Amino acid sequence: MNGELIPKLKDNISHIKQLSGNSSDLLVNEFVTGGVHCALLCCEGMVSTSVITELIFEPITAIEAKKDSKELFHYIKEELLLSTDRPEVNDYDTLFRLIDSGFAVLIAEGMRTALAFGVQGYQSRGVQEPSGEGNIMGAHEGFAETIRTSMSQIRRRLKTPELVMELMVKGEKSRTDICLCYMKDRVPQELLSRIKGSLDEIKLESILSTGYIRPFVESQRFELFSSNGTTERPDVLCSKLIEGRVGLLVDGVPYAIVIPRLFCESFQTLDDYAFKPYYATFIRWIKYMAFILSILLPSVYTAIVMHHPELLNSTLLMILVEAERKAPLSIMTESIGVLLMYEIIREAGVRLPKPMGGAVSIVSGLIIGDAAVQSGLISTPLLTMTALAVMSGLCVPELNPPITVLRFSFLIAGGIFGLFGISLLACAVLVNVCATEDYGFPYTAPVSPFKKSGMGDTAIRSGFRKMQNRGFTVEEYHE
Amino acid sequence: MNKVTASQFSAMLLLSDAFALFGFTGRMSLFTVGAFSFGIIIQFVLAMLLIRCGRTEGKAVKWFYMLYFVFWGGVLFNMQWRTSEAIYIPYESSNGIWGKLLISGLIALACLYISSEGIKAVSRASLIAAAVGAVYLLIVAVSAARNADIENLTRAESNMSFRNEFIRSIAMSGGLGGLSVLAGITKGSPYKAVEKYFIAKAVMTLLIMLTVILAVGGIMKITDFPTVTAAQVSQPFSAQRIDSLFLIVFVICGVFSIGVQVSASAYLLRELYPAFKHYSSSITLAVMLLTAFLISKTDIYGTFTAAAVILALLIVPVFTAIKNRVKAGA
Repeated sequence: MNGELIPKLKDNISHIKQLSGNSSDLLVNEFVTGGVHCALLCCEGMVSTSVITELIFEPITAIEAKKDSKELFHYIKEELLLSTDRPEVNDYDTLFRLIDSGFAVLIAEGMRTALAFGVQGYQSRGVQEPSGEGNIMGAHEGFAETIRTSMSQIRRRLKTPELVMELMVKGEKSRTDICLCYMKDRVPQELLSRIKGSLDEIKLESILSTGYIRPFVESQRFELFSSNGTTERPDVLCSKLIEGRVGLLVDGVPYAIVIPRLFCESFQTLDDYAFKPYYATFIRWIKYMAFILSILLPSVYTAIVMHHPELLNSTLLMILVEAERKAPLSIMTESIGVLLMYEIIREAGVRLPKPMGGAVSIVSGLIIGDAAVQSGLISTPLLTMTALAVMSGLCVPELNPPITVLRFSFLIAGGIFGLFGISLLACAVLVNVCATEDYGFPYTAPVSPFKKSGMGDTAIRSGFRKMQNRGFTVEEYHE
Repeated sequence: MNKVTASQFSAMLLLSDAFALFGFTGRMSLFTVGAFSFGIIIQFVLAMLLIRCGRTEGKAVKWFYMLYFVFWGGVLFNMQWRTSEAIYIPYESSNGIWGKLLISGLIALACLYISSEGIKAVSRASLIAAAVGAVYLLIVAVSAARNADIENLTRAESNMSFRNEFIRSIAMSGGLGGLSVLAGITKGSPYKAVEKYFIAKAVMTLLIMLTVILAVGGIMKITDFPTVTAAQVSQPFSAQRIDSLFLIVFVICGVFSIGVQVSASAYLLRELYPAFKHYSSSITLAVMLLTAFLISKTDIYGTFTAAAVILALLIVPVFTAIKNRVKAGA
């Protein structure tokens, strides 16, 4: 498809149709203007019909006779100014890429080049509130699927020439637009060049979500937690860019990849910076606690009840003994069963059509849950612990996948070996988390390696008067 | 090997010291505190000497340290076996030979994974583990102090001479051998890192020992593992007993201190024999477990271990001195 354009119009059109496999959505409008035979090519559904009619057809068909097609092209390109984005096309590869991106391409008799006009008009979801990163006092605007819209959302918030957005195309078949965003005065140059190097390694046929790219920009070792993150909020991405990080936008995906991502950032939200520091600090510690509870609560409960009942005071012990006495299964089996049930219900709730979500909640929460307790299959304290653990996990939605797997792993370790098993697994998990790093940025910074300067936005949330003098960039954490 | 910070350096060595103190057997008194304090001063002087002479790259020295780390790892495994008799590890017949083997196997498995992630990851994790351990120690210390009897300070009597207590303090500091490897990969001044570590070690040793004496001074004579008993008798929460919580800190300290020995010896094995690159940690661990089995009937905190520790601290300065003399002679 890299061949040069054929100058003879009829042959050119036939060749284009042949290359496209006579695809039904390729529209070819032949006409004569300025005394030259031309054709306007576009993809149905990708262009705005009204824009084409008003801004392309009307002015083009009104052109007076020209000496030849070369003069006609010169006139259209240099004097008519039909659209702001009007690249020149020299080969079929570019021609198809532009047509498939919503451009209208003008070819003419005797010309080895073509003119493309940006008249995109495809249907897309508009800017909406982010579904997974809600907040109270910040902007209620999330990224859109259209990459240009997402780029404009960032530019609107960072009106500085230091903000650089580099567009590139990846995916042999999908030819997906990818935008690399960074602040040229903040980003560590080594990080930038290494990310570009990683992106060059992508030889995928298609890129349909951020998940296709993320493995290329993270370490190849087994990591429980991902060293790069995603956000669907332009304001969050802007705050990361200012700290010297790199953002990656993928066309068709309303999420941006942030590189590098730190563990402590999963507990930070934009609302933290809208509230008073003391309240933000309080909320942040609630989230840290929720994270620990979400992973360890079912396993510690099981371990204590099964192996270390002496840790409980006598009143609590009697309550638990009374509750568990009626349950027919072992506590570990019960816990695994309840957690599995929750995961099945959650998965069903996510995949089902929205109108059925309510029905799922009623069936799962009221009928199954209530019936299981009433029938004595599951004890009430265990169900309470499991529900609390699950709810705690929702406080840090970004970490939900590793939390889910770790919860099961710790439960099995605690059920078999009690606190000994939990401690052993905790050591292994801790080392795995500490070994996680991306391009030399440790995931556990600023806790280990300890950076005092970073604790102002980790252990507590300092006020802006303090933070404005910090001049922080992520390079401080580089090892 | 990658660079570690001074705090991480201290944390790695402190976890090993804490683990050794948790497995302290026999009586503890103010006399023991004095001997251990003196021991720390001597260790500090020797450690500074070791740092001053730098690392010796000779094959013989590498061999020595590799064997030393394997030996100290074996001592730690052995200590874990002995102490687990006083700590309830939930496994059927956990005090029997098969139970002990299973527990050691699980710890070895955790250490194998830890060492496979490299010293950088271990050092980062050690810092967090040390912080968790410090919080636990403070809780135990505060709750023990609440129930403490000041007369226990004089009531607790040692059954060893000062010399023997001093030897024990040296023998329990086997983690110091790690200085030879860790000092070379520490960011910034190694002197400052060593200073920081010894200050923290002195504070930790005094805190643990005084807590133990205050809490169990009265029953020291009938206590096999005073530190474990101190954890059992201190009641910070309204629980019936909290010694199971001690298990968490005991396991964490144990896994990290053994993990550091595995990482260090595996690193030296790889340097000596690159062909063992993929199996260095497994080989080291297997030999460590074998060593632990072989020394299971001996006094692990006796003269032999103390001599090994002293040798680990002196071998580099001695080699350097000999080298310098040979150079001067030539």
